[in-house]
Amino acid sequence: MLVFPGTNSEEETVRLLRAYAGEAELVHWSRARTLPAYDAYVIAGGFAYEDRIRAGAIAARDAMMEPVIDGAVRGKLVLGICNGAQILLEAGLVPGGSNGRPTAAFTRNAPNGHFICKQVSVKLAVDPQRSAITSSLAPGAVMPAWAAHAEGRLAARAADLAALVDGEHVAFVYARPDGVVDDGATPNGSALRCAGLVNREGNVLAVMPHPERIYPQHSPLFESFVRAVNAP
Amino acid sequence: MKRWIAVRLKLSDNTAYTALVALRSTGIDVAHVERARLVRAEGVSEAAMIAAVERDEAIFNTHLHEAHVREADHPQAGEIWVWPRDAGGDAWSWQLRDGRGAPLDTATLRRACDALLCNPAIEEARYPA
Repeated sequence: MLVFPGTNSEEETVRLLRAYAGEAELVHWSRARTLPAYDAYVIAGGFAYEDRIRAGAIAARDAMMEPVIDGAVRGKLVLGICNGAQILLEAGLVPGGSNGRPTAAFTRNAPNGHFICKQVSVKLAVDPQRSAITSSLAPGAVMPAWAAHAEGRLAARAADLAALVDGEHVAFVYARPDGVVDDGATPNGSALRCAGLVNREGNVLAVMPHPERIYPQHSPLFESFVRAVNAP
Repeated sequence: MKRWIAVRLKLSDNTAYTALVALRSTGIDVAHVERARLVRAEGVSEAAMIAAVERDEAIFNTHLHEAHVREADHPQAGEIWVWPRDAGGDAWSWQLRDGRGAPLDTATLRRACDALLCNPAIEEARYPA
């Protein structure tokens, strides 16, 4: 569990990982050298480095991310939530395939850029086996989460948006609690109604709303993530 | 008349300093980074445009900021303008200089953009002509 200057929600996230028998620890930026020893990484929400320049831009290029990027390339599981998702996109890990250059971003909400804080539902939009992280979810699983961001709208150039669809990178979409997907359920104007993106290989998942904030409710996503990490 | 108004911090700009450190870590030989928000203003005079910008509490605090009219409608030597592709976001000027105070060349500015200052998915950059 990476902790950058400005990270928040790390305690809640670790608590939830441990609730599903994950052996999770906080690793602050001063201990970045210990990161290669871990089997998987979670990047929590917050405002790493105050989101200077752009959301996630500095953290994505921080030394803390070098072992994460290296581990992701070698197949380790990486889950980014909210600011963590922004960081993964800035680092080019998601959707990936761009030599480290970002091809998409979670950016300023539409239509007005206001910070939103509301409970939402997200729906699994790919085959659960598309990603090891989602592999224990039911097809089309609908889960509650908290959207708490001013920059959660997926944006990319038209060709890159098409590539996200073609490559089945849109792992989660915003939905109504009954699973109906429409613009009314999308709180931030996100392109493709996207709430989460997965990389080509399926081992890096970036989710914008916070699944950990529904605690103590059951979090199928965290359970599935921990199960995948603990798999032999 | 229309002009670009640059809004800068009067005190140390932590974001510019962070950009400096991050750019240097990528191998770009830069010694000074300055940043300004660019606001398109329209008015009967430059003074009126400055006054209009200074009344916008979302971008201007008289204790923190100073505003001035940009004479040119394009970046100057050593300067990058970064634009959001979508309407509604902010445009920023980044001024990069070397250790002697000379503006960086355009090739280095492009490297700085690729490395950090511009996310091509959502932004585009303009360079000196």
